[in-house]
Amino acid sequence: MSLGGTEIRRAKLRFGLLTVAVSLLVFLILLLTTLSNSLISSLVGALEGLDTDGLVYAAAAQDTIAASRLAPETEGAVAAVPGVASVSVIGTFTTRGEVAGTDEDIQVFGFRPGEPGQPTALSDGSLPASGSEAAVDGVAAVGDTVVIGGRELKVVGTLRGARFNALPTVYVTWGAYDEALRAANPGLPFVPVNAVAFTVDDPEDVTSVAMAIEGAVSGTRAYTLNEAVGSIPGIDSITQSFGILVGLTFIIGIVVIGFFFLILTVQKMRTFTLLRAIGSSTGRLASTVALQITVVVVLASLIALALTVLAVRGIDTGIPATVDPATVIGTIGAVLVFSLLAGLLSIRRIARIDPASAVGSR
Amino acid sequence: MTNDPVVEATDAVPDGPGPTPADDAARHDHALLRVESVSKVYGSGHTEVTAVAGATLSVDQGEFVALLGPSGSGKTTLISIIGGLLQASSGTVHLGDVDVTALSSRELTRFRAERVGFVFQSANLVPFLTARENLLYVTSLVKGGSRTQAKARADQLLEELGLADRAGNLPEQLSGGERQRVAIGRALMNDPDLVLVDEPTAALDTALGRQVVEMLRREIKSRGKTGIMVTHDLRMVEYTDRVFEILDGSLTHVEEPSALGH
Repeated sequence: MSLGGTEIRRAKLRFGLLTVAVSLLVFLILLLTTLSNSLISSLVGALEGLDTDGLVYAAAAQDTIAASRLAPETEGAVAAVPGVASVSVIGTFTTRGEVAGTDEDIQVFGFRPGEPGQPTALSDGSLPASGSEAAVDGVAAVGDTVVIGGRELKVVGTLRGARFNALPTVYVTWGAYDEALRAANPGLPFVPVNAVAFTVDDPEDVTSVAMAIEGAVSGTRAYTLNEAVGSIPGIDSITQSFGILVGLTFIIGIVVIGFFFLILTVQKMRTFTLLRAIGSSTGRLASTVALQITVVVVLASLIALALTVLAVRGIDTGIPATVDPATVIGTIGAVLVFSLLAGLLSIRRIARIDPASAVGSR
Repeated sequence: MTNDPVVEATDAVPDGPGPTPADDAARHDHALLRVESVSKVYGSGHTEVTAVAGATLSVDQGEFVALLGPSGSGKTTLISIIGGLLQASSGTVHLGDVDVTALSSRELTRFRAERVGFVFQSANLVPFLTARENLLYVTSLVKGGSRTQAKARADQLLEELGLADRAGNLPEQLSGGERQRVAIGRALMNDPDLVLVDEPTAALDTALGRQVVEMLRREIKSRGKTGIMVTHDLRMVEYTDRVFEILDGSLTHVEEPSALGH
């Protein structure tokens, strides 16, 4: 006979209210995690999603790809560094454009298809292969058009999690990029390269190769992809701030869940004492509490997940928030594990029960 | 015996002509339950309190005896030691061939589930289990035995206790007397050797109390169990075979119930 399951069936109101309360806590944790991940992704997603081992910026750019200006010949100089397998150029600029009929600020990325530095977060369609095509992370679908510098491009692919500085991004071939930048900046003597993307030979270490590039090509700073993402000014502070916010919410949520079950346990001390007296082991009673925590947290997590999906769909935050399955599974798993750990407070109380106190008590 | 200053100090336990527990134990050398020189001391130094001092008693299989004494006399402590709920400071308790005082905490838990049935005065049933489930739960604490047999036994016990139509009721839906009868059923469910009953009439009126104790005696005797009932209520000892008087932690006399003039 499952004591924990029977109690839940007999005390539906009590456990129902507890489940609702826990679901609100889990909802808060899930929503904050989803929104913070979405915001960070919309700030750095474009860089994170580049298909490359590392990036080279101008040393004077102070870790900012948009501020980096490299001469076109830098590409060849980087390619000549031992350990570098392949290179390509990346360009980016912010402009006003029209996406699927809506006029808005966009971040344009230029790349060479099939070479290092092309985006990877394709969710539909394909990457642009010609100068008249574009892939977009924004409010556009395959078949729509984008207009940049008066030039109309057909959307052949859409991306997810590939925004930059919270702006929609438009990925075009280097040729289309060249034309768009010249159209936006008439009289431009040459089209600067913002970054050189590079891959390394198989056994080579990316960090070592990056250091070699910096030593060989003057006026450059080379990064692994993760370093480039982490070096974006302010991103560390934003990540840390959200981390603290989510972490504190998580800790408070777990402590509250632990206290909920401790209160339930204290309320049932007479019953637990009786059960210990008639021969129930501490382990058996602990498993009863663990079962109830698991049932409540799992049910609450399902409710919280539904609420999170509804909230993400219903709240317009200006950034594309999506419920990431891996984040959801990780968060719910962590809530369950730490709730069970918090349940040790209850189990400790049960372990300290003196079964002899069942005798003589009224 | 009337010279015993301890017995004179209380009017709750009238004196009788019975022997001392040690003398009585010598006559029951094949007893199922043998308690020898059991003491329980709490604290140490100037805070030392002796709850039970050198208690010796023997109870035969099939006997239903009373442990009679006023509040604070040590009867609860003694029954707790006998039932494996509390460790004695010294002395031994044997139930059949098991030395209860030598068992580890884990072994005591299993001993209580398999060999002892308890009827407490209150907080006696699991509130979220029906009468039938309260009986069935204790069978899950011992290994072996089929669920079908357990259900049949629970139904049979409830039938005998006049609770067949209350089997599906929760404790809160039962009267005080019915709850005690369910507790009696639970105590007998695992076919224990020893049934320990703590003040079973404490929350009942006299008529209901008599009814419950009479039923308790009938169930214990008909099954050949050994029963000890802790009580301070003289009116209930007439249903027992012998009465052990306890005062200030010491067993003083063993009496025939009729000798106590209840």
